Amino acid sequence: MGAELGNYKSCVSARSTDKELLKHAQDGGIVTSLFAFALEEGIIDGAIVAANKEFAAKYPSKCMMDNSNFDMIEPWRPIPAIVNTKAELIAAAGTKYNISPNVSLLKEATRSFGLDKIGIVGTPCQMQAVRKAQLYPIGMRDVGASIALAVGIFCMENFPYQSILQLVEDHAAMKLESVKKMEIGKGKFWVYGKRGQVVQLPLKITHKYEQPGCHVCLDYVANLADVSTGSVGSPDGWSTVMVRSKIGDSVWGKAMAAGCFETQPIEKVKPGLELVTKLANEKITKNKKTLEGRATFGVGKALRNPYI
Amino acid sequence: MSKVVEISPTTRHEGHSKLVLKVNDQGIIETGNWCSITPVRGVEKLAVGKTPEQVPKIASRVCGICPIAHCLAATEAMEASIKCEIPNDAKMLRHILQLANRCHSIALHDILILPDFYIPGTETKINPFTAEEPVRSVAKRIQRLREIGQTIGQIAGGDCIHPRNTRIGGMYRNVSEQAKTKMYDLAKEGLTLSHQQAEFMIAVIRNYHNRDFVDVGGMKVPMPKTLGYHNQGYLATHAFYGSTSMDECPSWDINRFKEARPYDWYMGEMEVTLEEPKYPIGGTTKMGTKVNPQMEACTGIPMYDGQPVEVGPRARLVRYKNFDMKGTKGQNIAREMEYQDCFYEMIDCIDALNTSGKVVADYIPNGDGSLGWASNEAPRGTDVHIARVNDWKVQYFSMLVPTTWNFATCSKALEGAPWQLAEVIMRGYDPCVSCATHMIVLDEENKMIAQKLIQ
Repeated sequence: MGAELGNYKSCVSARSTDKELLKHAQDGGIVTSLFAFALEEGIIDGAIVAANKEFAAKYPSKCMMDNSNFDMIEPWRPIPAIVNTKAELIAAAGTKYNISPNVSLLKEATRSFGLDKIGIVGTPCQMQAVRKAQLYPIGMRDVGASIALAVGIFCMENFPYQSILQLVEDHAAMKLESVKKMEIGKGKFWVYGKRGQVVQLPLKITHKYEQPGCHVCLDYVANLADVSTGSVGSPDGWSTVMVRSKIGDSVWGKAMAAGCFETQPIEKVKPGLELVTKLANEKITKNKKTLEGRATFGVGKALRNPYI
Repeated sequence: MSKVVEISPTTRHEGHSKLVLKVNDQGIIETGNWCSITPVRGVEKLAVGKTPEQVPKIASRVCGICPIAHCLAATEAMEASIKCEIPNDAKMLRHILQLANRCHSIALHDILILPDFYIPGTETKINPFTAEEPVRSVAKRIQRLREIGQTIGQIAGGDCIHPRNTRIGGMYRNVSEQAKTKMYDLAKEGLTLSHQQAEFMIAVIRNYHNRDFVDVGGMKVPMPKTLGYHNQGYLATHAFYGSTSMDECPSWDINRFKEARPYDWYMGEMEVTLEEPKYPIGGTTKMGTKVNPQMEACTGIPMYDGQPVEVGPRARLVRYKNFDMKGTKGQNIAREMEYQDCFYEMIDCIDALNTSGKVVADYIPNGDGSLGWASNEAPRGTDVHIARVNDWKVQYFSMLVPTTWNFATCSKALEGAPWQLAEVIMRGYDPCVSCATHMIVLDEENKMIAQKLIQ
């Protein structure tokens, strides 16, 4: 081990200086703030984000929709969308703990949306997809060169929509419509209701609801993003930010100079990188074991390993 | 004594074809057969039983230069069969896509024909790949024009090669305001470039046809003033887009159309008796080789009013703008003249497009098996698709593709030209041979072709 956090140029604990924006953000508002800055500066001319039902009702033409998936618009199901303004960004802010196929909009962004410089946010696997599309563009003509800023978020595992439905409505005994925020932290799955209820579920009960595909993932902190960010390592309301690529460095530097973020050195905050490293290690070790298990899954037969 | 010479394969056009030419002692063509030898893929037969959603996507794969024409013609043939009216903004998007594809196709054809031509006033043939001026800046302009055409097509149609956005009943998506502006800017840039490019090409084409002799592989070949002339007449259904059987006044009449088999049209078995190793590059077919266009040709012969006709840019200009220049020269010039028209029309369409407009019809019927057809003015001419859809399944599908129309017409036009210039005449038609060879001609009554091929 030792490479569990990937390559990065710098790492800080940060939060947005925009108070209005912070009200809607999951943690430090890094993704929303960074995209808002990049849109303003013309670094990107649109961003692919995970929006929601309310967003789709307000901006239907910004979402990938045809007649076939109207019935997929449910509370807390993420809907990939393309945003061009800060207001739209804020409307789409916040973590949805189930699958959002953001990469499905990647090609369309360069087509009917007419983007030249795309910003995209996603989990580590989605950052892998973006990089793969850039290097091996299969059916992805003109997409690679259009990707201007890829922001990755830390991800331990994800859930199908049905799992979230069950966790919230059965285990937490709350209607999805009345949920204000969900969060995984401090070893618990937290559900905050709009009327002030707070329910915490031990992570142990969520395990069986995880998406099985997450169990072969060897990336915790979005190693392939330009900038990756997540809550782990920083205090509440703050995010851990890792600046990785030249592009990331340049955008982050400009955003800092413009006063978009306040930061603290990661070494100064608790629990800091130590916890990030520990969790990354746990994820990778556990999932490597699953991968090894696939090699001898059958009698004299193996399951496929996408890494070899 | 006439001799037989064969150029196989022909080059600098799309697909796989050959020229079998019966020439006199001066090397002037007496009878010319231009035939497709592209393997038949049988799209029309395999379409039967599939859904009308699938078939246009398959038909699109007939050709990668003009997939838009096939995709749109097939989609609209299905819509004509099920009688589905599409919203106006979907029509605008389709028009933009169509025009963008035409621009890109004309530019690509420029690259293919330029090596035949001379830099005006010199004895230097144009090599589009050279880094020397003035050719390099022309090549760059062509590439930019193609890029513009493809990018606009990509935005309006989802993809420039095999558009994804088209669907039965309209389009999957409208474009964003941002995308509309981008298309507009690109079209404006394209307009300027197309003016320059068309002017350049027309000068080069005129210069070539005004010469007394041209050089082909070191041979000094006389340039006839009537190169590529024929008396077959013209067919076009629209100056830009096309027509369908749902139109109030359709501009194509299915009753005037008939298809003959290659067996009735082409020459029979012959032996090659003239060989020219100097013909660029690699010489012509070896002496003594047996050729048989009747059996080898892979396309049918569509006829309008009992005759093969010419389709393409010149046919459109003749029909809609009283263009009167004949022969290969007229053909090439007509194609260049379409350049600017494309961009002007495209800008009008972009202006007319409402980006918040509806692009899918509210009601899409399943079809009752009635016959519908749609023609699309592909870069190379009239592309007519005919379909019957019943209960959301394709019962019958037929494609009459521009180069299929042109095969027989071009064969006629070869007569009277030196055989070394046969390919130049052929390129005047901007042939798209894989487009033409999408089917096997089968006489439904007595299965003639199938039998002949088996023997």
